[in-house]
Amino acid sequence: MSGMRMESTRVAFLETLTELMESDPKTVVVFADSVKVFRATEAFLEKFAGRVFDVGIAEQNAVAMAAGLAAGDLTVFVATYAGFITMRACEQVRTFVGYPGLNVKFIGANAGIFGGEREGVTHQFFEDLAIMRSIPGVVVVVPADASEVRQATRAIAKVVGPAYLRIGSGRDPVVVEPPRLFELGRIRRLEDHGRDFVIFANGYLLQRSLEAAAHLASQGLRGRVVEVHTLRPLDVMGIAQVLAESPAAVSVEDHQINGAMGSAVAEVIAEHGQGRLVRLGLQDVFPESGDAFGLLDRYGLGVRDIVQAVEKVTGSVASAAGRH
Amino acid sequence: MWTEKDVRMLEEHARQLRRDVVTMIHLAGDGHPGPALSVADLVTALYFKVMRVNPADPQWAARDRFILSKGHACPTLYAALARRGFFSPEVLPTLRRLGSILQGHPDMKKTPGIDSTSGSLGNGVSLGLGMVLAARVNQQEYFTYVITGDGEIQEGIVWEAAMAAVHYKAGRLIVFVDNNGQQSGGPVCQVSGLYPVLPKWQAFGWHCQEIDGHDLRAILAAVERAQAETDRPSCIMARTVKGKGIPFMEADNSWHKRVPTKDELDRALAILA
Repeated sequence: MSGMRMESTRVAFLETLTELMESDPKTVVVFADSVKVFRATEAFLEKFAGRVFDVGIAEQNAVAMAAGLAAGDLTVFVATYAGFITMRACEQVRTFVGYPGLNVKFIGANAGIFGGEREGVTHQFFEDLAIMRSIPGVVVVVPADASEVRQATRAIAKVVGPAYLRIGSGRDPVVVEPPRLFELGRIRRLEDHGRDFVIFANGYLLQRSLEAAAHLASQGLRGRVVEVHTLRPLDVMGIAQVLAESPAAVSVEDHQINGAMGSAVAEVIAEHGQGRLVRLGLQDVFPESGDAFGLLDRYGLGVRDIVQAVEKVTGSVASAAGRH
Repeated sequence: MWTEKDVRMLEEHARQLRRDVVTMIHLAGDGHPGPALSVADLVTALYFKVMRVNPADPQWAARDRFILSKGHACPTLYAALARRGFFSPEVLPTLRRLGSILQGHPDMKKTPGIDSTSGSLGNGVSLGLGMVLAARVNQQEYFTYVITGDGEIQEGIVWEAAMAAVHYKAGRLIVFVDNNGQQSGGPVCQVSGLYPVLPKWQAFGWHCQEIDGHDLRAILAAVERAQAETDRPSCIMARTVKGKGIPFMEADNSWHKRVPTKDELDRALAILA
């Protein structure tokens, strides 16, 4: 990993939150013993005294209390571990924030096995996106790196209503350099070697997808990489258009295989009639502790896995075409 | 402060709410009369005497807030809002029907005057604490009142919120425990080891009182004492009777969720006349 530039997604969030709280006295934040997780300094706590609430290790209360705060016309950020928001407090998110459409922004740390890494399964969260995607009206965003976290945080703050933003461990590689414009609800076309295939990716795995596409291009298989950072609102037409041009598709995400981005792309294929998809992600298994990069390799999310998946799907699209 | 005239006025309102409740549930063919009747006097005192609200402007920012954490008792709340002028009493018979503004459990986006969605049990104290803290950020001075059931406080989140409310010195949070002693599955004392209730709130640091939850004078006096507590939240344990006001429903837990027949409705209305 030498040579890889790192920038913490947690710090990027907190710095952006600081800007938002400076400019809007009606923005507040609720932590659940997660002040240090988000690298909130004494200076931050002092500067925003009265607008920072740490309820301790009590996520259900954190979320329901946030709903009460938002009912008082405030913009409320709830920042703690992804799984404790989306699973421990799932019902509070659904019934008291989602159902009334209150203006609460959930920031979930340690997302994915890459984000949870050495902590093991209890602190690796790879169901969060499927859960949040099933709650009506919640904006769901998966940034790839710190720069995108900054842009996405500002974007969800501008939209009134519930949102979920996934962030990592704080040891997060810079994926897109130089930073590119983030548009909420719009796919980002990042690399275009040709139309032989498309890789849909998000989070850190976007980087591995870019590597895989570059490798494949050098082998004569020329495709593109499309970042699907927003799962709701999903850019259905954008995805369908890409698939119409490049029907051989692979989805790559740090999440359980069911219910998140790969599933969303599969739904677009099913409803728009174009494309064939291989989904990469956690294949219905519980992983384990380990270093972040090694874990991705061990659980089928290495560059080689992506390359093989592309070869498989392009082969199957070609043979299907051959039958006609 | 209140007068004996107020109390007589409140007694008449409470009778009206009880008539509305049994009628609504009969017409809806579904609902929870027992729990709705046990909170009728508390809700009456709040909406017809205690709370500063403005029916012409349900979202008035400085209004006092109310959360019916035991949302299944909502026919009483709907009746109170209608009789207080938030919407027409003619809407009451639409309870639980398709297209109605009166959902099976309270919905803050559909019903004028409902401050919080509720009904999934255990969440009211947390929601109320959030509203109290929002008042602080917004430099407003409203009170937030919550009614929770006693069975309901078996939920763990209640105690997360109880702890946080003291930590945040939420003096403007006033929680009633509707202590009717019954939950869906039977007597609270047989279902779980919840009792004694009040020492638990005391141990968390709350200002605690115990009253007869059907004695309007006691309710009004307890609220005044609770309002005077500025640095800690207040818990008022209100001893109540499920089905209160209709003898054949009182202390018969089958009325937790049961629909009165036409004959039972007529008998109930005759008693409440």
